Amino acid sequence: MTFIDTSITKIAEIVKTNYVQWETARKNGLFQKLDPRLKAVFMLGCVAVISVKKELPAELAISGFIFILILLSRLNLIRIYKRILFFGFFFGFLIALPSALNVITQGDIIFRVAALSRPYHFWIYTIPAEIGITREGCYGVGILSLRVVNSVSVVLLILNTTHFFELVRSFKILRIPDTFLMIIILTYKYVFILSKTIEDIYLAMKSRLVGSIRNSEIREIVSGRIFYVFKLSRMRYEETYKAMLARGFTGEISLNAGRGFAGRDIVAGIALAGVLIIIIIL
Amino acid sequence: MKNIIELKNVSYSYYDIVPALSGIDLAISEGETLAVIGSNGSGKSTLLQIMSALIHPQSGSLYYRGERVTEKKLRERQYQRMFRSSVGYIFQNSDVQLFCPTVYDEIAFGPLQLGLDESSTAARVSDILALMNIEYLAERPTHMLSGGEKKRVAIGSVLAMNPELLLLDEPMSGLDPKTVSFLTDLIFSLAESDKTIVIATHDLELVDHLQPRIAVLSEDHRLEKTGAAPEILGDKELLIRVNLIHEHKHRHGKRVHSHLHSHFLFHDHKR
Repeated sequence: MTFIDTSITKIAEIVKTNYVQWETARKNGLFQKLDPRLKAVFMLGCVAVISVKKELPAELAISGFIFILILLSRLNLIRIYKRILFFGFFFGFLIALPSALNVITQGDIIFRVAALSRPYHFWIYTIPAEIGITREGCYGVGILSLRVVNSVSVVLLILNTTHFFELVRSFKILRIPDTFLMIIILTYKYVFILSKTIEDIYLAMKSRLVGSIRNSEIREIVSGRIFYVFKLSRMRYEETYKAMLARGFTGEISLNAGRGFAGRDIVAGIALAGVLIIIIIL
Repeated sequence: MKNIIELKNVSYSYYDIVPALSGIDLAISEGETLAVIGSNGSGKSTLLQIMSALIHPQSGSLYYRGERVTEKKLRERQYQRMFRSSVGYIFQNSDVQLFCPTVYDEIAFGPLQLGLDESSTAARVSDILALMNIEYLAERPTHMLSGGEKKRVAIGSVLAMNPELLLLDEPMSGLDPKTVSFLTDLIFSLAESDKTIVIATHDLELVDHLQPRIAVLSEDHRLEKTGAAPEILGDKELLIRVNLIHEHKHRHGKRVHSHLHSHFLFHDHKR
């Protein structure tokens, strides 16, 4: 049953993370005070600039800029940069690393890896006699890794300073229909409610299991519980639908748009846009 | 007083095999407080859901202010809006009722669906937050509330629509004494402001506090009796028959014994 234990623990951790995120979003920091719509637009703009820029200094400038925003938002630097570096390493550096070789990126070899007796030609590909890491390849890996790091940083900055629901609602500014946003909100919410139910069911089951049991029995128990949770979620959906009907739902949803833009949002918007324009010009 | 809701010979069963209600005739007048009591599974919640037209009787009819309420009638946008704003239903399980991102959104949902503009909705939400003593919860996500807070928000979200008829399904179930006391006072205030209130419960203590007219559902899903609170709560044979009081062990000092026992109405040591 170890795999079930692990899965349930992971689910509980995710729920706990949600509480942590809600707490960080309530801190008295720079980004927490800004309107979610402004943050959503900034996030999209920033990701666009990150993708467009092809120079290492510009990407480094963006990294520095986001680092300052994270600092001003009073986020836990160690916790947030652990995640950023994890994603940056696996989805940026490791994936891009082979492109540092002259097999993929031609250029000046700065570190020799292997030497063959002669070059090999295969279809449109050529494997040179001398295989090594090129300066141009390193530059490419650096750019790609920084792009991933910067994109993850800006997304985590927004996620940690805005409650998820507020962020979803802010997409109203992009003219996404309210009904679609409500579906996302409901899905997110019931994942947490059902995960708590699953955790409780599992603990109740565990408390009644004595001694060793066969794998076939475990499979039977687990599949039975999966079916039960499915039935439970279906019943919950029907009840929630009734609750929505009882409060005037007619198939079209009107969501509260939230507060309007304040003076500080306008000032912050101009400042953030200004920095992004300077980085583009760089 | 005119009848606000009337049920005529209403029957309902789940999946056509599990009976929930059988031949119910019941009328509720304007401004009245009615408690529907019965043991678990007697059909109290089903009765309230039929009154709020969330489900429709398989036989018999529901009338709201003398007009028959049918599925077809509720498809008319104008009528649906009028009916939903007039009849508020508070679910036993607050989790199913709280489907919006935050407490503020939850309370604003009803008024927005009814077509109120943002500023009128904001004013109404502010009033409800103050009425329910939950101003400090306004920005909190609804799945991060305690049981008592969820119940307050659930009731607030319905009151925001200013309904004239309130249907409360087991409103006190699983709540701490402070919240129970708050909600009991709230029900009194709502009754005094001429709201019609229907409460489904098996909590005889609550019924004793409120002293409403009572409708008793039997275990075979029929309406056993209706009457004033003193008449029904004083009818020991009736309460035993519908399984609302029973014999069970309890302690008197160092002595443990069993007899018919209702923790507030009577304490019969004759047997």
